[in-house]
Amino acid sequence: MSMIRYLAKRLAQSFLTILLTVSTVFVLIRLAPGDPARAYAGPLSTNEQVEEVRRQFGLDQPLIEQYWTFLKGLFSGDLGTSFSYQAPALDVVLDRLPYTLTLAISAIVVTTLVSIPLGVWMARRADTRRELAANVATVAGQSMPEFWTGVMLLTVFAVLIPVLPASGFTTWGGLVLPTVTIAILQIALISRMVRREMVANFGAPYLTVARSRGVGERLLTWRYAMGNASVPVVTALGTRFAAMLNGVVVVEVVFAWPGVGSLVVRALETRDYPLIVTTVLVTSVLAVLVQLLVDLCYPLLDPRVRLGKAVA
Amino acid sequence: MTDALHSRRNILRMALALGAGGTLGGLTTACATPTGLPGAGTLNIALNRSLVSLDNKLNQFDAAVTVQRAVRQALTRLTPDLKIQPVLAESFQLTAPTEWTVRLRSGIRYSDNSPVQVEDVAKALESYRDTKGGFLATFFPEWPRVVKVDDQTFKLRTDAPLPVLDYLMANILITPAAANKAEELQTGVGSGPYVVTAADRGAGNYQLAINPNYWGTRPTVEQVQVRFLPSETSRVVSLRSGEVDVIDSITPDSVEQLRGLPGVQIENRPGTRITHLFYNFRKPAGHPLADVRVREALSYAINGDALINDILQQAVIPVPGVVPPGLSGAAAVGGFRYDPAKARQMLTGLGVRDLSMKIIWESGEFAGDTQVMEAVYEMLRAVGVRVTLQQFEPGGDISAWRQGRAGDWDLLANGYPSSTGLAITVLQGMYAGTAAKEQTRDTYHGYVVPEATQLIARASAEIDPARRTQLLTQAQQTVWNTWPAMWAFAPKAVVARRERVTGMAMGANNSYDLTQLRLAQ
Repeated sequence: MSMIRYLAKRLAQSFLTILLTVSTVFVLIRLAPGDPARAYAGPLSTNEQVEEVRRQFGLDQPLIEQYWTFLKGLFSGDLGTSFSYQAPALDVVLDRLPYTLTLAISAIVVTTLVSIPLGVWMARRADTRRELAANVATVAGQSMPEFWTGVMLLTVFAVLIPVLPASGFTTWGGLVLPTVTIAILQIALISRMVRREMVANFGAPYLTVARSRGVGERLLTWRYAMGNASVPVVTALGTRFAAMLNGVVVVEVVFAWPGVGSLVVRALETRDYPLIVTTVLVTSVLAVLVQLLVDLCYPLLDPRVRLGKAVA
Repeated sequence: MTDALHSRRNILRMALALGAGGTLGGLTTACATPTGLPGAGTLNIALNRSLVSLDNKLNQFDAAVTVQRAVRQALTRLTPDLKIQPVLAESFQLTAPTEWTVRLRSGIRYSDNSPVQVEDVAKALESYRDTKGGFLATFFPEWPRVVKVDDQTFKLRTDAPLPVLDYLMANILITPAAANKAEELQTGVGSGPYVVTAADRGAGNYQLAINPNYWGTRPTVEQVQVRFLPSETSRVVSLRSGEVDVIDSITPDSVEQLRGLPGVQIENRPGTRITHLFYNFRKPAGHPLADVRVREALSYAINGDALINDILQQAVIPVPGVVPPGLSGAAAVGGFRYDPAKARQMLTGLGVRDLSMKIIWESGEFAGDTQVMEAVYEMLRAVGVRVTLQQFEPGGDISAWRQGRAGDWDLLANGYPSSTGLAITVLQGMYAGTAAKEQTRDTYHGYVVPEATQLIARASAEIDPARRTQLLTQAQQTVWNTWPAMWAFAPKAVVARRERVTGMAMGANNSYDLTQLRLAQ
């Protein structure tokens, strides 16, 4: 399959995935309890005022008509006006997106830089005491919920020893604690996976042959074994990254991070339909793009892989 | 094919470049030290809600007022003790029953150096009127018309007497007419002591600097950073670490945490909001709660002192009537008393046995809401009343329940604010129900007592202050006699500040004047 055909097929699939996702969310949030018009108009408003708000936002229309309006808006770039921000929903989400992107990229970079060497180190020392200690540490990292890790880091480094900011992103230092909070869990997960893949490759016959031919250990590890392990590892990193783009909600709330995660919490509280759907749309597009990028990387990482075909 | 461009090394380099780019793109604010501490001349304020607007047509939440009024001003303002004071108006006088004459202060200019004009006032009123779902609009019985007399003078005319218009106008912020519209104004020109120098609506962060054209006394704080920290824990931690100087909306639990900490001070004063356990007045005749004596009896079951001291940590004050005691025109017409024996005796005497009640409320409606409701549950059970509690999440269906459209209930725990500092505003909103309003379910939980409504209407239109006060007292006594609530309290306005901030004069409406603040070096 040519690259262009593959890309076209994947983009078509991605488009359908995104459309289905936002359509499902569009319908489900309208079926959920709560009246956004009343929430917006305030508890002291009269019925007349609430009806006016309902008319203003088109909530008085039948569901199918609202959906049709949404679809027309989707293709013209108008995703509606956020009830609570009184601004185009897309603008509100795009205002927050850089913060989530910053945090996600920062976390995935730290995860990659730490977890791969750590996983390799564990694999090379498999079943030793030092590996056991690292194993315990990674299991602990995997077991600690992010809200707990975040609060502990916050308590130590922002309150007891105030060397880092406690909340928001007013300075570069503000990136450290949320990044570390996310990275701890991801490092634990990815490093254990790297270890598993590397151990499997270290025991493979091709490595024994290469070693007998006098290939150095460094080359064996980083080119031969890691080359084979790279596809599942990159897949895992891509999946984790895509998940982060969907809003690292808990971490954003703990650190008052002004990203998409905390925005969507607020949007759900206020039943801000346009904002909820737009957030889902934007993060879905990003997540799908990341997955596509990961897929496109496969042939580069493993020459046996051809796009659209399974590994032989 | 793997060429040089697509080598693993190049891919890694590109990924890192993208990462750095994204990170750089996200950093939009400055004026903080590397540890996040504010600079020497910068005041850092953290708000509990996002300041999506520097206008107050819709967003009138308490703490926002402080920032909104630092940028835009009204003709008048409420002083910390809820008296009216001219601001953009030099004089604001009632010159006929349906006419106020206003003279603008001379020489006042906006931050862009344009003059404050009569037309701006007319446009401001028009914008507030046309704002959909506008919160403040509900307090205007009718919109006054602006009749220009000369460049400095105009009249505000109404069809019916509106003797509290000077208070109402304290909420109408003035902007140049050309820049005003019936939408929230997020940045822009104002006549206040500060101008917006940077705004990140996404993060809810604003940076203010002194307005060089400000007509009043120049503030001493050079810069103000406004941040949005929705989580109370984040606000408390940020204050403790010195990252922010002032935080608002603090629950009693957090006050306990902050009290006694070095470098931190708590400011509080009685607020303008009433929170109460309000009966459902839509009960049919014959239902126990339709009987005023039953409503009175049940009130003796509530140990208000215990709730105030043990759960609410004295962050509230009891209400000796039907409106918060600090409001202008408030009268002490009654009081809640704890006497469970009397409650039991009265209920038995009235033949009320096996009474069961459903109490509803929304999470976060007031500090410690869940604990208070659980305590109320026990107190009522102690006098033989079975209680069901139903809590609603914010944004849920509580409104439909309040209107009686979603189901039946007996008691609602919620609050009512006063943005004017006047008792009449609260009375009008809660107790001036009519049969017509009830048709559309726009009364306050079905409260329709014609005698009270008439007294409130007469007080609203009464020009003579002494007579108005008398009518207001009568109205409050009439309402009290109907025992509308089982218990009521007025939460204090609470703010915590770092000690380096001085000169804070907290208003009862939970706001303060930024121009009065000082920062210790």
